[in-house]
Amino acid sequence: MLREGVKFHDGTDFDAQDVAYTLNHVADPDSDMKSRVLVDWIDNVEVVDSHKVRIHAKRPTPAALQYLTGTSPIYPSGHYEDAPVVPGSDGAERRDWGAVQPVCTGPYKLADYVAGESLTLEANPDYFDGSPKGKPSIGTLVYKTIKDPETQVAEVVTGGVDWIWGVPPENAEMLASMGNLTVVSAPTMRMSFLSLDAAGRTGETPMTDLKVRQAIAHAINREAIAENLVGDGSMVQKSMCAPVQFGCDTDVKQYAYDPEKAKALLAEAGYPDGFSVPFHAYRDRAYSEAVLNDLRAVGIETDLQFLQWRALRPKIVDDQVQIGHLTFGSNGILDVSASTSYYFEGSSDDYARDEEVKAWLEEADRTTDQERRKELYSKALNKIADQAYYIPLFMYGRTYAFNKDLDYPVTPDEMAHFYLAKWK
Amino acid sequence: MLVYLSKRFLMTMLVIAVTSGIAFLLVHLSGDPAAAMAGEGASEADIEAVRATYGFDRPLYVQYLDWVGRILTGDLGRSTYLRADVTDVLARHVPVTATLGLCALTFALALSIPLGVIAALRPNTLIDRFALWVAVAGQALPSFLFALGLMYLFGVYFRLLPISGNETWWHFIMPSIALGYYATPAIMRLTRSGMLDVMQSDHVRTARAYGLAPWRVVVRHGLRHAIIPVVSLAAVQLGFMLGGSIVIETIFSLKGIGYLAWESIQRADIEVIQAILLVIAAAYAVLTLLADLLNAALDPRIRIS
Repeated sequence: MLREGVKFHDGTDFDAQDVAYTLNHVADPDSDMKSRVLVDWIDNVEVVDSHKVRIHAKRPTPAALQYLTGTSPIYPSGHYEDAPVVPGSDGAERRDWGAVQPVCTGPYKLADYVAGESLTLEANPDYFDGSPKGKPSIGTLVYKTIKDPETQVAEVVTGGVDWIWGVPPENAEMLASMGNLTVVSAPTMRMSFLSLDAAGRTGETPMTDLKVRQAIAHAINREAIAENLVGDGSMVQKSMCAPVQFGCDTDVKQYAYDPEKAKALLAEAGYPDGFSVPFHAYRDRAYSEAVLNDLRAVGIETDLQFLQWRALRPKIVDDQVQIGHLTFGSNGILDVSASTSYYFEGSSDDYARDEEVKAWLEEADRTTDQERRKELYSKALNKIADQAYYIPLFMYGRTYAFNKDLDYPVTPDEMAHFYLAKWK
Repeated sequence: MLVYLSKRFLMTMLVIAVTSGIAFLLVHLSGDPAAAMAGEGASEADIEAVRATYGFDRPLYVQYLDWVGRILTGDLGRSTYLRADVTDVLARHVPVTATLGLCALTFALALSIPLGVIAALRPNTLIDRFALWVAVAGQALPSFLFALGLMYLFGVYFRLLPISGNETWWHFIMPSIALGYYATPAIMRLTRSGMLDVMQSDHVRTARAYGLAPWRVVVRHGLRHAIIPVVSLAAVQLGFMLGGSIVIETIFSLKGIGYLAWESIQRADIEVIQAILLVIAAAYAVLTLLADLLNAALDPRIRIS
């Protein structure tokens, strides 16, 4: 059932045709839609009446509502007909679907857009009454890309901009003392963890030994990294999922920071003098180096291979990553099927390859009984923790700094909800 | 002159052709572009689909020939991230960098040539020392530090100049100084040593003996000779400023070529990276060619050999 009386920014009515048109388009493998997880579950969508659609899923999809409210909006029917024709490979042509400027129904409409540079939004005067988001208070928003964090700080301090996010922890305190700024931190859904090759995909390595994996877990001072290094908004990640996700059981086995115990476990496993191992990472070098220091302290020497994601990903697929320091944001989906299931259902990202865990997760992803799902996810997460397949480290935090006269609620979903903001 | 010109021109073309090959290889061998475009959470099938859509599944040499073929027809490709033709993207970014480069070079020349001349005319005096100090400071300070210092002083403390962006001419003042200052030491030192040599030469002494006005001796008979190597250096410096202003453009958020290059590398927007490398290589090569020609015009001996 769709809400009645909703209009697109171009003035046309929002109805079932539009929903069916957009979802059928993005579900098509040729749509160039990048967050496939949001649409891959859709088989096809049919119009029942003017404000009713029926979505046929390929299989039971308990997280369907999560996917529908994700980052893929509904556009008016015929929206993609404006997509330019561009040269594809081998002289063939393709349509650049993503080049069409969005026409949506939200509280703000797009007034100007320069790709990679700026975005100007204007309040939508025709935004429908009684929406859960409420009518926007601020008239015009200009969102600019300023790459250098120092420059962002200089701009927000001098009032060149009113709002920034992703403030580096070393600047947060200084900004908070400025008097004209509000500085707030919130956790995000991005987790930071070690993937260990328990399945032996890279060969017969120490990682296949449970004691070695547990030693690694005991060796890392997660509290110190989260609190002192990653900073405000960050917290220790207790389980292989984001705590805000449905089904994320954080009451699983925890490995306290205990270097002595780590050394003892290594000795039991037959490595009294430790060993040497390649260590792959791609995102935040300083955080990876903190982990390396902790590992070195218990005798595990690492050879850090810090790569760009596009170079690391093929190595992960090709069974070459014994220890990977990875991060994942679950595409913003508040359901464990987007995180734990992503890593432990036997894909090329799965270095545990535990059949039992896989079976539990697959069943949970396809069951609509929410209690049963919780139970299955809990079983899987407990086994992952007991076996120390992957070592959860910390959840990323995000710090915001904005004009003191701005009333802006910071949310834990790492989304900028400007429609909630108002001037005091 | 014609032989000289055509030889230089052929060399320039060759440099550009070789660079295009290297640019292509560097971009393609440094990782899987499809993996970057598909983003995190993409399955192998998703990545495979991206590969097919954008033609990354073809052998490298086929992709290269395809690319070169399109370049020769004037099509620089399409940005997969910005969803626009690379030609249009460059058309937006090149003027910013060109403005910055020219302003920075003007600043560098306006500062370093007079300083160099004065230092040479009064060697080992306080003035010479001061000029040396300015030059050494320029060489020793990392450009990002100098840029942040300028930003703090004029943007945050005095609030005289805008901090980031490229909307008005005011926005170009700090970046031009920051970028240009980096080029001053070399130009200043070269002008100084050239002037020192030439002022002791016979023809300058003769000119002096004729009783020509001192400024005329310095500018017409002295500087004209001393400036020849400076022209080559300035051309190379301009090339460096056009291609190497990544740091300055990023700090001041000037949406020029350097900024675009840095962003595109992070986005794995390979057609843009390739096009930028090609454009920068071409700019370098053409500037060097121009400098050679200008030198040939200034100094007949170069034309003949």
